[in-house]
Amino acid sequence: MAGRSDERMGAVGFLALICLIACAQVGEAIWLTIPSSGTKCISEEIRSGVIVLADYYIVDDEQGHIGTSTISARVTSPYGNNLHHNENVTHGQFAFTTTEAGNYVACFWINGHRQEGVGLKIGVDWKIGVAAKDWESVAKKEKIEGVELELTKLEGAIEAIHSNLIYLKDREAEMREVSETTNARVAWFSIMSLGVCIVVSILQLWYLRIYFQKKKLI
Amino acid sequence: MEARHRSKNLLVSFFLLWSFLVTPISSLSVTVNDVECVYEYVLYEGDTVSGNYVVVDHDIFWASDHPGIDFTVTSPAGNSVHSQKGTSGDKFEFKAPRAGMYKFCFHNPYSTPETVSFYIHIGHIPNDHDLAKDEHLDPINVKIAELREALESVTAEQKYLKARDTRHRHTNESTRKRVIYYTLAEYLLLACASSLQVFYIRRLFSKSIAYNRV
Repeated sequence: MAGRSDERMGAVGFLALICLIACAQVGEAIWLTIPSSGTKCISEEIRSGVIVLADYYIVDDEQGHIGTSTISARVTSPYGNNLHHNENVTHGQFAFTTTEAGNYVACFWINGHRQEGVGLKIGVDWKIGVAAKDWESVAKKEKIEGVELELTKLEGAIEAIHSNLIYLKDREAEMREVSETTNARVAWFSIMSLGVCIVVSILQLWYLRIYFQKKKLI
Repeated sequence: MEARHRSKNLLVSFFLLWSFLVTPISSLSVTVNDVECVYEYVLYEGDTVSGNYVVVDHDIFWASDHPGIDFTVTSPAGNSVHSQKGTSGDKFEFKAPRAGMYKFCFHNPYSTPETVSFYIHIGHIPNDHDLAKDEHLDPINVKIAELREALESVTAEQKYLKARDTRHRHTNESTRKRVIYYTLAEYLLLACASSLQVFYIRRLFSKSIAYNRV
């Protein structure tokens, strides 16, 4: 009896895993419309040490010919380094680990000549951090499956939430310091402007006195 | 006692494994010139579509607050499911009336391009109908799905906070720069004005121009 329920749990887990992977892959992707001329860029502010995994593909060609259109993609880091560059493809993917904190930009544009005003729909599957984690290999390595795998994923999500909270707290602390220095500076600079005003007027008067004395008018 | 010790070991090992793989914060930003639409597919009818969007400050010179951006969600049937006008950021949540491709559109009524940071999540919880259809699905999966959705809502809230924090940061940086540059400009202007005054007075008294006047 116990053996059969274990088997059943295994089957349940495997099916749930498949369902989840299917859901995750479809649910995460968003579709964008690239204009007929110009580029469409999406960006995200990411900190360093985060895995980024993305997949892009042409979804729908409004003109009706799916085979003839190609797109190009370019991904740049916040310091301007080119992380991924692909020309004339219908689909592609890129993966990298961020080394610098800042804004990462992924730009897409259509290759070739297109009718004015007719755009192209592409799907972008953008995952970072825990969402980019390969759960299948973890399941195989740790030899866990089913409910335990689900709970492990939930645990990963909770850890990520916790670390995000700490990250947000640190950012808020930095911002608070900037605010407070700005506040102190406003007070100091205003008083100093009064001082500058007085000093400048004293210099003026002193110079004019010397000038008039030289001219023998006083 | 044994099981608890083992699970604690598991917890520690997982934490060590993932301590460097963090941040699922994934709010994409897109620049809105006039209208920008993002599409997302909803698999099941009745799924909860939730998300948020924040307009990132683009250094407004005079106005004290952002003029706002319009946001509409269109169902695959073509009718508007959710709409919000003239805000600089909001959270939204609705139940999808049917499955299909939903369109999330941002409309910028002003000429300056704005950058909008958004996050969309579609949550599905297997209900009794799904359980009845698929005999392999355990009721525990429903509970796990509910837990996952709850965690997702926390994550979504964090993303919203992060986006608003970024906006606040821009304002702070702008204020800091303005304080420094405007006070320096003020001091220079003051010095210039007073030296101009001195030169003018000198000119009044110079012999070549106003010999008889003063």
